[in-house]
Amino acid sequence: MDRRDFLRCMCYGGVATFANPVVHFAQVPERGRFVFVLLRGGFDGLAAIVPFGDAGYQSIRGSMAFESSKLTALTDGFGLAPGLAPLRAFWDRDELVALHALAIPYRTRSHFDGQAVLETGLSGPDGSADGWLNRLLQVMEGQRSGIAVAAGMPRSMTGPHPVATWSPAQLGMVEDSYLDRLHLLYRSDPTLYNRFEAAVAQREITSDMGATGSAGAARARAGVEPILRAAARFLRQPDGPNIAAVEFSGWDTHANQGMEGGPLDRLLGQLAQGLTVFRDEMGDVWSQTTVVAMTEFGRTARPNGTRGTDHGTAGAGFILGPNVARSALVTDWPGLRDSQLFDNRDLRPTLDTRAVLKGVIAGTFDLTHAQAERVFPNSSDAPGRYDLMA
Amino acid sequence: MDAMLRALNRCGLGARIGERATVADARGWLEAQLEGGAPDMGAGLGVPSAAEVAEAFSGLRRAQGARDQAALEQARRRIREVAVAEARAALGQRLVTERPYVERLVGFWSNHLCISVAAKPILAPLAGSYEREAIRPHVLGRFEDMVLASARHPAMLLYLDNAQSVGPGSQAGRRTGPGGQRRGLNENYARELMELHTLGVAGGYTQQDVQELARILTGWSTGGIGPAARGARGDGDLGFVFRPLTHEPGSKTLLGVRYDESGAREGESAIRALCRHPSTARFVATKLVRHFVADDPPAEAIDQVARVFASTEGDLREVARTMVRVDAAWAPETRKFRTPQDWLVAVFRALRVREAQDGFAPLLMQLRQPLWGPAAPKGYADTTQEWADPDSLMNRAELARTIAARVARASVEPDQLLSVVDVGEADPLRTLLADGSIAAEERIALASGGPAFQWR
Repeated sequence: MDRRDFLRCMCYGGVATFANPVVHFAQVPERGRFVFVLLRGGFDGLAAIVPFGDAGYQSIRGSMAFESSKLTALTDGFGLAPGLAPLRAFWDRDELVALHALAIPYRTRSHFDGQAVLETGLSGPDGSADGWLNRLLQVMEGQRSGIAVAAGMPRSMTGPHPVATWSPAQLGMVEDSYLDRLHLLYRSDPTLYNRFEAAVAQREITSDMGATGSAGAARARAGVEPILRAAARFLRQPDGPNIAAVEFSGWDTHANQGMEGGPLDRLLGQLAQGLTVFRDEMGDVWSQTTVVAMTEFGRTARPNGTRGTDHGTAGAGFILGPNVARSALVTDWPGLRDSQLFDNRDLRPTLDTRAVLKGVIAGTFDLTHAQAERVFPNSSDAPGRYDLMA
Repeated sequence: MDAMLRALNRCGLGARIGERATVADARGWLEAQLEGGAPDMGAGLGVPSAAEVAEAFSGLRRAQGARDQAALEQARRRIREVAVAEARAALGQRLVTERPYVERLVGFWSNHLCISVAAKPILAPLAGSYEREAIRPHVLGRFEDMVLASARHPAMLLYLDNAQSVGPGSQAGRRTGPGGQRRGLNENYARELMELHTLGVAGGYTQQDVQELARILTGWSTGGIGPAARGARGDGDLGFVFRPLTHEPGSKTLLGVRYDESGAREGESAIRALCRHPSTARFVATKLVRHFVADDPPAEAIDQVARVFASTEGDLREVARTMVRVDAAWAPETRKFRTPQDWLVAVFRALRVREAQDGFAPLLMQLRQPLWGPAAPKGYADTTQEWADPDSLMNRAELARTIAARVARASVEPDQLLSVVDVGEADPLRTLLADGSIAAEERIALASGGPAFQWR
């Protein structure tokens, strides 16, 4: 059997003959595309969606406070940092919800616990829990598929539902006969067999994407843009995956985070540029697409002694896509006066990540509220924000 | 399960062709490697000297200060040269070593107390020297000496920002800078020291303890590592400087223990106490057993290793000896998925390649596990879940094919590779490797790119 026959067999009917399910994309195109962008490292929400109208803002941020003239205003009192200015185009098309004073439900200043909580969608860290995106795939009962466009498998995607992975690297040319023989060998390894099959299928789908050995290096330079571009190329296929997990690291700005044009602002610029490229690459499919960007925690309200910020609590996030109800700043703003801070140091959390995500997935995939609750078990203390989506 | 291959592959760095036949007693072979001091890097690996490292590091600062474009480019080139030489030497050491168990321990501890060039590119010229100076000398010594060496090394002081931390009540902290700013505390290192290096996240400390430890460690800094910074105020460690002007004065309380004001000695006492804390024994033992036994580490093995760690006050030679004496290490049903670094080193060792080409380190980048470049201070995971994703299996399949074509043709008969992987009598790999109708280099790739070789 040559590789094309093998793939056809695998993707279109051969699946049932294997002991375990393999990754395959839905055969009937299903509506809804969703990208979860995890900003790893604790993204400084106060330096991204800047509360310049807050009475306490200038004094608490001191020399790290932006003048309002540098910002792109969204509403009275809140503006986008210089690097995020391109997001105003989403805002003007009613495609942007800016979230503020947003936090995971568990109070921690540990990256690892914070990411674990955000990525599992639970109320506290649990070493063995599935990722919430995997649970979302499970709840949709195999009618949708997922892909991790990232180095390794993000925690949010881990779990029993098979998920594809893709990274832009090709490390050599191989013959079909070689892959067929490897396939034979992998058949005797029950742990790895399905993963190898998924890899072969993936390779076929991306064979025209121009992946090269140098793409990894380009990615390191350009931040998240090539990753979001690749994600778009997967998601826009008629029978492509519906859900992508994307990661963007580098937000742990303990020192010298800078102002306009500085290190943090450049990262924000890469994010805004990546999201713009993503929207353009999606073409017609953008109409059914939603993107969420979130982080594990915000940072301290006051700068630290090294012109940076330390691990804090609440921060900011974004929902992008034409299916948001309307462009809006969504926040129950707690204020920045000393007495209003959490632990006298951090922005006080007033909006739960789970409440937002329940609303987003229900709106994107036409889920019932009960289904959304199953993706975020025991989250009744964070009622779904089903008003955020059209 | 073949015990000899288990020792060579699981606890070593991968069997060379024919090496299995030279090992008669698997455990004895491993324990013998623990005798003698920690091995130096092999002569002839081209390890940069301390002066070259210092010059590369300070050269960039000088050029930046002078705003001289040509000097800046020259300084960047020197940094790249040092970084490439360090990577070639570190990987070369893994290829040539005859004490692969000890080298695996170097890798384990280096990852446990990791720094990251990916997170802080300024560390590029220091990463290799950090492993050589802070980790390697202590892998058969005492845990607390290793943690202290790490705490004082400029690479760690810069990586987790302690070099910049200033006590708010110190002389420097009370001074107001231009623009009305004051420098202050940075708790990054203090937090990770407890969460990741010693107690573990559930080890029983509070946010208050994090801040107290950060205060204790104020003043621990680096003066740059040029010759001028060494000597006078340093205490013998490369580039370590204690700055009394930034040290928070007064007594501090960490985990209920009071530390009276005593300058740099406060930090040393606090770190030693953290290393001797029962949570640390448990945390470190769990991680070791996960690395050497199974992703889901058996409780009994953890207990055994933690007991030895505690009773010997962190004697890492005894801990390493215990590690290969626990029953679970030899249980046939356990296996560990090779990380990208493990896999690539094992491929080259199997094929008896003894020199790390310059392309080696970039390959690790493509396999998502660059040397000294984890995304976060937690270091790299070593579990199947982390590394056995479909894309990675395909990357390895492709790379195995490329390596077989480039390095293996001349020197290796494909069926010799049966001496490096543990496969059953009926495994189809045996048939394929003996099949003369398949090109020899493809057969070699089938061995190293196939499933059996992915495990250790």
